[in-house]
Amino acid sequence: MTSLAQRNQKMAIKLAVIALLMFGFGYALSPLYVAFCKALGIDQAQASITQSSAALRLEFDTNVASGVAATIQALDTVQMAQAGGIVKTRFLLANTSDQPLKLRAIPSFAPVRAAGLLQKLECFCFDELVLQANERREVTVVLLVADQLPAEMGAATLSYSLQAVAQ
Amino acid sequence: MSSDTLHHTDHGLATHHPQGGWQRWLYATNHKDIGTLYLWFAFVMFITGGVMALGIRAELFQPGLQYWQPEFFNQLTTLHGIIMVFGAIMPAFTGLANWMLPLMIGAPDMAFARMNNWSFWLLPPAAALLIISLFVPGGAAGGGWTLYPPLSIQSGMGMDLAIFSIHLLGLSSIMGSINIITTVLNMRAPGMTLLKMPLFAWTSLVTAYLLIAVAPVLAGAVTMLLTDRHFDTHFFKAAGGGDPVLFQHIFWFFGHPEVYIMALPAFGIVSQIIPVFSRKPLFGYVSMVYATCSIAILSFMVWGHHMFAVGMPATAQLFFMFLTMLIAVPTGVKVFNWIATMWQGSLTFETPMLFAIGFVCLFTVGGFSGLILSIAPVDTQMHDTYYVVAHFHYVLVAGALFSLFAAVYYWLPKWTGYMYHEGRGKFHFWWSMIWFNVTFFPMHFLGLAGMPRRIPDYALQFTDFNAIASVGAFCFGLGQIFFFFNVIHTIRGGVGPAPSSPWEGGNTLEWEVPSPAPHHTWETPPDLATVQRGLRAQAVE
Ligand code: HEM
Ligand SMILES: [Cu+2]
Repeated sequence: MTSLAQRNQKMAIKLAVIALLMFGFGYALSPLYVAFCKALGIDQAQASITQSSAALRLEFDTNVASGVAATIQALDTVQMAQAGGIVKTRFLLANTSDQPLKLRAIPSFAPVRAAGLLQKLECFCFDELVLQANERREVTVVLLVADQLPAEMGAATLSYSLQAVAQ
Repeated sequence: MSSDTLHHTDHGLATHHPQGGWQRWLYATNHKDIGTLYLWFAFVMFITGGVMALGIRAELFQPGLQYWQPEFFNQLTTLHGIIMVFGAIMPAFTGLANWMLPLMIGAPDMAFARMNNWSFWLLPPAAALLIISLFVPGGAAGGGWTLYPPLSIQSGMGMDLAIFSIHLLGLSSIMGSINIITTVLNMRAPGMTLLKMPLFAWTSLVTAYLLIAVAPVLAGAVTMLLTDRHFDTHFFKAAGGGDPVLFQHIFWFFGHPEVYIMALPAFGIVSQIIPVFSRKPLFGYVSMVYATCSIAILSFMVWGHHMFAVGMPATAQLFFMFLTMLIAVPTGVKVFNWIATMWQGSLTFETPMLFAIGFVCLFTVGGFSGLILSIAPVDTQMHDTYYVVAHFHYVLVAGALFSLFAAVYYWLPKWTGYMYHEGRGKFHFWWSMIWFNVTFFPMHFLGLAGMPRRIPDYALQFTDFNAIASVGAFCFGLGQIFFFFNVIHTIRGGVGPAPSSPWEGGNTLEWEVPSPAPHHTWETPPDLATVQRGLRAQAVE
């Protein structure tokens, strides 16, 4: 039988090891956090936000009108727009019904002041879309960013709502 | 285990006679001496943090800036928070555990007497670092006790001192916890199984495990802050690819269990006291144990409720919201059991019982406001308002502090050998009870009306309630000086010598040894009959 002192020492060592592991766990949270944010598509702080004040944060929002059997999803929910740059962003469209669908995406944006700053070079909202039964398709929007961005602007949201086109 | 080996190891450590004067304390290895050191240290810190609180309340008595620069005001709130949490409440509980655990479980001392000495003596330098930081260029840390970046990365060397101080405090807590766990698990008297231990031993055990799990995480977080500040790492610096929100996750992964580190020992204390003064065994002992463990486990999964306002996916908000509400269940079990213990008991209202009942009532108020804050959409409104300040002071002052007062009055006869003056004790209770509520209850209204926390100046419509709160705080503070003289009076002889068991219903083992408890007790473990008698306290013989 081991003496009490020995048993105590063993337990203390075990507990100290747990403490050390937990210290490591604190550090492990750093890569875990990044992985989680990536996996869940959660927006993280970005270096570009702090580095240049002349950047505009673009957020993409999507909606589907009620009764339309389709889905739309922004693949890049947030992007940073640099003055004079080009922003390309992707969306995933899907027809969830067994029939072909004729759709149109109605764009809108906020705030109004963003109007002069972003110019759409290309957009899936320009045309009518025809999606075959159960078809999934990736579509894009390409934006040209103004040469000068006001520092106080911060962020703009672009929104696309899918509507059915009367047949 | 033979009591022979037990005796043997003990001889090597502490059987030589206690040295006189300061050496007795500097080289203390006896659990009672160390417990005493911890308790006095905690009291000094309580007064220090309290003076800072009064500094805050003086500034907030009227709108406008009267006494302090805004930067200094922030340093006051920050140091007040850190000192109260890490300097006053936690060391006081560790001190109680040191003093009482060996007595209550029939052990001769703590498992590691020398390490015990170290864990205490790390505290004064840590406190000194915090105090010194007030006088360095740039002043003390001013980013709140949560030390959120980016402010904590940008501020001056006061922050470095706070970080080092937190390292020392964490190390001390971890060593203290290792000691408590080992003592409770390995050194109980024969016949005292885990499910027969006094609840205070249970809550100390669970708390110690919580500390071992989360104190290193906080140490890691502040180390990352330190390297972000000086060694060009980018854990939290957005400019380098880090994220300040990550700090909040790590901090609250520590921070929420920390709240229970300050609450569970309080639950243990009142679970000892209420049965004694109700002259009934504790109602639902086993459910109390399970509730303690469930609270501890759940506390790891709810940190996100501190971050509702940060921006979080709705599913995550719901997850944290429901889990947080779930904690109310085991907590409710506890409150129910305390009330059931009192139900139809032959109650008497000596000071420890008054503080224990005060604890149950006010802690319940704090629990309810916590429940309200756990609702994510409500919290986005209340976040960082005085409602939060009211909530956590109901939990920490009425919870942790009142339970500590209860413990001090309850065990003072055992510590000093003298009875305290009952009238003065009661006066201290009623005085604290009234002024505590005057101080903190109006803060609910301030918060609901939208007054933010951590500000030195405020809009005119908040004037009246702030004035009331400030008057309350100063009166509350005055009462604690009265408490100090109460204790000194008892040490000097009080109202006469105390019997070994001054409370009629006191069954647990500490009441089997003389008052004051001799320097060495339970050198041979209590016999089975004695242990069995002690178990009547929780009706599990
Ligand atoms: C007993 C009298 C006390 C008074 C009058 C008092 C008063 C205050 C005041 C006025 C604030 C500042 C609120 C703000 O501007 O955000 C504060 C903050 C705080 N107090 Fe107390 N307090 C007392 C005791 C305690 C105790 C016993 C604890 C125990 C842990 C405690 C923990 C805290 C914490 C953690 C903060 C937050 C600090 C921060 O904002 O970073 N206080 N207290
Ligand atoms: Cu919490």
